Amino acid sequence: MANKKIGRRQFIKTTGAAGIGAVGIFGSPFKVRRAAAAQKRSIPKDPIKLATVGFLTGAAAAPFGIPGNNAYRMLADRINKEGGISGRKIKLTSYDEAGGVDAQVKLCRKLILGEKVDVILGYISSADCKAVLPLSDELGGLIMAYDCGTHVLMEGDKSPYKVPKYTLGFRTKAHLGIDNIGLAFMIRKYLPDIKAIAGINPDYAWGRDSWLIFETAMKKLMPHVKVVGTWWPPLFTTDFTAHISALMGAKPDIVHSALWGGDSVTFTKQAMGMGFFEKSRMAFSRGEPYPQEVGRDYPEEQLICCAGTHYFLYPPHDKWPLNKWFVEEYHKRYGKYPTYPCYHAYQAMYTYKNAVEKAGTLVGGWPTIEEISKAAVGLSIQTPSGHLMIREDHNGIEDVLLGFSKRVPEFPFPILDPKRMEVFPAHVVNAPVGIRTVDWINSWKV
Amino acid sequence: MISRSPPTISFSRYLLANRNSKMWIIYILNGLYFAALIFLISLGLNIILGVMGILNLAHGSLYAIGAFMAAWTVIALGKGAPMFLIYPSLLSGVVIAALFGLFMEYLLIRPMYKRALEYQLLITFGALLLLEDVIKMIWGGEAYYASRPCDVLGTCHILGNPYPAYFLLVMIMALIAGLLIWVFMFKTKVGVMLRAISLDREMATALGLNVHKMGTFAFVLGSALAGLAGALVVPTTPALLGFGMEPLILAFIVVVIGGLGSLKGALAGSLIVGQTRSIGIVLFPEIELALLFLIAAVILVAKPQGLFGR
Repeated sequence: MANKKIGRRQFIKTTGAAGIGAVGIFGSPFKVRRAAAAQKRSIPKDPIKLATVGFLTGAAAAPFGIPGNNAYRMLADRINKEGGISGRKIKLTSYDEAGGVDAQVKLCRKLILGEKVDVILGYISSADCKAVLPLSDELGGLIMAYDCGTHVLMEGDKSPYKVPKYTLGFRTKAHLGIDNIGLAFMIRKYLPDIKAIAGINPDYAWGRDSWLIFETAMKKLMPHVKVVGTWWPPLFTTDFTAHISALMGAKPDIVHSALWGGDSVTFTKQAMGMGFFEKSRMAFSRGEPYPQEVGRDYPEEQLICCAGTHYFLYPPHDKWPLNKWFVEEYHKRYGKYPTYPCYHAYQAMYTYKNAVEKAGTLVGGWPTIEEISKAAVGLSIQTPSGHLMIREDHNGIEDVLLGFSKRVPEFPFPILDPKRMEVFPAHVVNAPVGIRTVDWINSWKV
Repeated sequence: MISRSPPTISFSRYLLANRNSKMWIIYILNGLYFAALIFLISLGLNIILGVMGILNLAHGSLYAIGAFMAAWTVIALGKGAPMFLIYPSLLSGVVIAALFGLFMEYLLIRPMYKRALEYQLLITFGALLLLEDVIKMIWGGEAYYASRPCDVLGTCHILGNPYPAYFLLVMIMALIAGLLIWVFMFKTKVGVMLRAISLDREMATALGLNVHKMGTFAFVLGSALAGLAGALVVPTTPALLGFGMEPLILAFIVVVIGGLGSLKGALAGSLIVGQTRSIGIVLFPEIELALLFLIAAVILVAKPQGLFGR
C-alpha cells in the first residue's frame, strides 16, 4: 500500500472527528476510563481457599505430616499478616492423607469439585502423588505436590520424554535422585576405600526407587565396590533385629537406607543395641530429622542427607537471614527445630504465592489457574534453605546438602559436622529436562 | 562394573561360608525374641478362639492399646524415674488392654455368641476400626517413643556379639507368662473349666458351668496377653497408629501352623514363625514374608487342623 502523508490539519480533523464520534458512541471521556478499568480484572474479596493434605495420623504423621502442617500454618499466618497474596487472605484447611490411595483420590475430587479450592498443597506418599496428580488436569484443579519423592512422578517411560506431564500439576521440590546421587558423591569423596555396600530399604516404590538410583550412581562412580546384600523390610516393621544381624553378617562398609519415620528410629535404636555401628555405618538418604528424634545417643559418623539443603543450621544464619527467621519462629511456636518437611512446606506455599503474584502482574488482576500454572514455570524462589527453581517439567530442582553426624556440646543431639558438610549444586544432582534420571546417570563419563 | 550378589544363594554355600561365624547364635536369639512376642499375642488369640469360638480381628488393636498405654506411662514418669518404677509401669498396658477387653466382650461380643461366624467377623472387624479411632482420640496421631526400659538395661555380650539385654528380658517374660498360663489352664479349677468349655461347650453348659462368665474371663485374659506383648515391645519401637496390623497377621499364621485353641500349638507355631523369619531374612531376604505364608499354606493343605489342633 502506498504511504500516504498525513498533514497536521488533516490529523486534527480526523482525530477530532474520531474523538467526537467516540464520545457520541461511548459517552464522556470519564466513561472511557471506566470502561478500561472494567477490562482490568478485579481481585476477589473472599479469601483464597488453600487446602493442605499431609499425614495427620499414623506412622508418617510425627516425622512428616505434623511438622509440615505446622509450617503451613506458621507461613499462612505470616502471609496474612503481610496482607495476603495479591491482597487476598489465605483460608487454610488441613486434611489427613491417611486412608490410602482410593481415599486420597476421593478427597482430591471433593476438594476440587465440591469445595472448589484454589489450590491443593500436599501429599507425602509417592503412591498418593502418582494417583492424585493426574486429577489436576482431569478435574481442572491446581495441585502442588510438596513432599513426595519418587523420581518417576514427572518422568516419562523413555528418554527424551515430553514435558510437562501435567499442565496443572507440579512438584515444588526435587525428587529422590538428589539424595541418592548425593550419597554416592559423598562416599566417593570421603570414603574412597570402601569395598562393600549393602542396602536396607522399605519394601515399596520409595525404597526400591531410592536403592535403584543409589546403586546406579555407585556403579558409575565406584565400579569396584561390591553389593553384599539388599534387605527389604515391610513398612512399619517393629523388629529389625534379624535384618541388623543379617547386615552384620554380610560385613558391608556402608549401608544405604531410605528408611523413614518410626522405622528409621526403631532401626537406629535396635542397631545401637546390637553393636552395628561399631562395625559399619549408615548412609541415610532422608536421615536429617532423626538425630533430633533419637537424641544424644544417635551414633556419630553416619552419613546423612537433608533432602535438599534443608537444615536448621544451613545456610548459616548470619549469611541467610531467612533461615534464621524460619528456624527461630518455628522453634518459638513448636519447641523443635524445623525438619525438611517444614522447608518443603515453605517451598510449596511460596511457589504458589510467587506464581500468583507474577501472573497477577501480567494479567492485571487475579489470574486463572492456567495463568498461575504458566507463571510458575521458570520461577526462582528464595527459600530458607537457598533457592528453588521450577522447571518446565513442573518439577522443582535444588541443591543437596550432606554430612556426617557429630556430637557437639551446643545441642542435645548430633548435628552435621560443619567441617565435612558438602553441598552439591542442582545441576550436578538433577537430570536435565526430558531425560530419565537412570538414563542420565548411565550416560555419565566418569 | 559393580558386582552384585544374586538375591538367593545356595543354603549349603552360605552355611559353609559362615560356618565359623559366631553370628548364628544371634540369628537364633533374634528368632526367639520375635517368637516370644508373637507367642504372647497368639496365645491370647488362641484362648479367645478356643474357649469362646470367637476369631477376634481386633486383637491387634488391643496389642496397640497396651503399647500406647505403656509408652504413655513411661513418658509421664519422666527421665528421672527410678528403675523400680519403670518396669512395673509397663504393666499399665496389660491393665488397660484387659479393661478394653472387658468392655468389648460385654458390649459387642456377648450379643454375637449365638450368631453365625460371619457376624462375629464383622463385629470384631468393626471393633478394630473403632479401637483405632479410640486410640487416635486418646493419644492423638503422634508417635510415642518410650525406650528408657530398653536403654537402662544396656547391652550384654553373647559369644563376643553385643545384644540388647532387654530382648533377653522379653524372652524371659514370655516364658514366665507361658508357664503361668499352662499352670493356670492345667492345674487350677478355673483352667479346667475353661478347657472343658473349649472341648464341648454344650456339655459344659449342661453340667452347670457359667459359660458367659467364663467367656468374659477368657476374653479379658486374652486381651491382657495382647496388652502385655504391646507393653513389652514398646521400649524397642515407637507406638504408632496402625501398630497392631503386622503382629495380628503373624499371629494368625501362628494359629494356622500351631492349630486352633492349642497352647502347645501357639508355642510351636511362634517358634517356627520366629526362626523362619530370622533365618529367612539372612538367607532369602527377598522373600522373607512370602516364606511364612508359604509354610502356612503347606500346613493348611497337609494338616488343615494345624500341628497340634484338634
